[in-house]
Amino acid sequence: MDRVNSPAGRVLVHLVLVIFAVYSLVPFFWTTLQSFKTFKDAFSRQPVFIFEPTWANYQDVWIRSLPEAGSSVGYFILMAAVVITCLMLFARYLPIKSTWIYIGGLIGYGLLLWAIPQLVYMQKYYKYFINTIIVTVFTILTSISIGCLAGYALARYAGMAAVVILIAALAFRALPRLAFVLPYFWIGSLMNLLDTHILVIIALVAVNQPFTIWMLRSFFMEVPKDLEESAMVDGANRLTSFLNVIVPVAWPGIISTALFTLLLAYNEFLLVRVLTQTNWTLPVAISRYTGAEDPAQLTLAAAASVSATIPIIVVILFFQKHLIKGLAAGAVKG
Amino acid sequence: MKRNTFFAFASPSIVVMLLLMVVPLLMALWLAMQYMTFRNITAPEFVGFRNYIEILNDPFFWRSFNFTALYIAIVVPSWVVIGFIIALFLDQVSGLTRGVYLSIFLLPFIIVPVIGTIMFKQLWEPSGLLTWVYQELTGARFRVNETSVKTLIIIFGIWYVTPFTIVVYFAGLQTLPAEMIEAASIDGASRLQKIRHIVIPYVSSLTVFILLFSIMDSYRVFDSVFVLSELNPQFKADTVMTYTFLTAMQFQRLGKSNAMAILTVIGIMVVLVPFLYLMYKEQIAER
Repeated sequence: MDRVNSPAGRVLVHLVLVIFAVYSLVPFFWTTLQSFKTFKDAFSRQPVFIFEPTWANYQDVWIRSLPEAGSSVGYFILMAAVVITCLMLFARYLPIKSTWIYIGGLIGYGLLLWAIPQLVYMQKYYKYFINTIIVTVFTILTSISIGCLAGYALARYAGMAAVVILIAALAFRALPRLAFVLPYFWIGSLMNLLDTHILVIIALVAVNQPFTIWMLRSFFMEVPKDLEESAMVDGANRLTSFLNVIVPVAWPGIISTALFTLLLAYNEFLLVRVLTQTNWTLPVAISRYTGAEDPAQLTLAAAASVSATIPIIVVILFFQKHLIKGLAAGAVKG
Repeated sequence: MKRNTFFAFASPSIVVMLLLMVVPLLMALWLAMQYMTFRNITAPEFVGFRNYIEILNDPFFWRSFNFTALYIAIVVPSWVVIGFIIALFLDQVSGLTRGVYLSIFLLPFIIVPVIGTIMFKQLWEPSGLLTWVYQELTGARFRVNETSVKTLIIIFGIWYVTPFTIVVYFAGLQTLPAEMIEAASIDGASRLQKIRHIVIPYVSSLTVFILLFSIMDSYRVFDSVFVLSELNPQFKADTVMTYTFLTAMQFQRLGKSNAMAILTVIGIMVVLVPFLYLMYKEQIAER
């Protein structure tokens, strides 16, 4: 549309947008505020905006008891995390191949996550956090590697079979999770697989597969056909030309899809709630705080919610372009 | 690409979908005809269609169904209208400002729905911010009862999915050809007339897409209802999905809840079939 140019019009535009931004942010703002309050402040009927912030809620959510040398352990963990992050951020300026630095950095993070509970006596919440990471990472890896092959095939094959698969996938995507989850629950209890990561991962890969192949297909459609044709003229077969030529070109799209798979796996509640009894991921673990009658849980729930949201916001900030791209590609939240 | 190569590439995904989606769905059909609780999970008892009959005579099921219908009737039009209006406004700014607004608007959609619900719920606790605002404005106490919980569920539903419609409409507006608007401007059309006669028809195919998709999505709403209806267990405001869940996990009637899931699938088909037909035509046209 053409621009509104009158000054009054411009003010109106920004006024509406600012009001909508406030509306979008109020719950975040309030919960973050609550999470830094003491009991007394958090329960005041008259909302308190000026108070002395406390980390106690966060500490209660994450840490069971502080070790004697608490601060130095804390600094060590923090420094290690900062060093790894910097290495990965500046990987391209270092004389070693970037890929190796990324792999090393990821291993470093893994070691760090493993080391923390050895150094500090952590709460159960930390275990749920690790569960979430494990489930999310394996779901992404499986989902994307299967999905890439199928998405590419669906983008290049013009026959009827492709149409049938795409439409069937769309139908599955629209059906309620519960229709699939209850049979999984039944199989899981027959095979003693309930409460394991593997069952949750399998279920997540399955329910997200339709979405993954649709999205990847749309990105592979954008890759010009001549690319792999010229590679195949040079003697490469389909698979190698796909891996060496197509995947690097379509990489941003693959990252986009991985990002959405990450969100879907990280967000999943119903499926995890049914298929696990103690090995929860964060959404299920947090919902437990609110079901309880104890009002003291209020600030803890706030701190837990904020802690679980921060990783997502960091990821989004890093990959914002990919996210918008994916949404604009007509991708749909599952 | 040749047929054989196609199947070679697509087979892992096809196998996953057949084995992990088609088979469970068939299993659900079979389970729906069993009397099964957590006790006789290895030896279910065949009861035929009795589960379905029981559901259709279950007043709680119909109550949850009515609430789901109400939810869809309010939430879906709100998504479309609010999303379209905000997208129009967002289209008026550009560059960094636009990026900042867009990121803020997207937040409710990006965060974990359960956590979003918990954050929203914090506003309505007895010590919450909006409870206070409500009491200051109306002078009445904010009471948690069936009506207020249902209202909160609906407001939350609007809050957290609107970003999606904003982005879809916004992306659609970016492709609107400038010549169409210019021509209308030369003819002296006002802004509202342009929106009414050019923009709305231009995005109508998006609207159909959003409508069909959001009806199906809101029919399946679970997470937010599950958390919010916990506010006060005496005034359950269940949708079909949460009632199905409770039937399975709380009342331990696995067979009955499976039958409910099947009924939901049939219900969704009403919208799904026309949607699939549209997509099918689009796919055929593409080739």
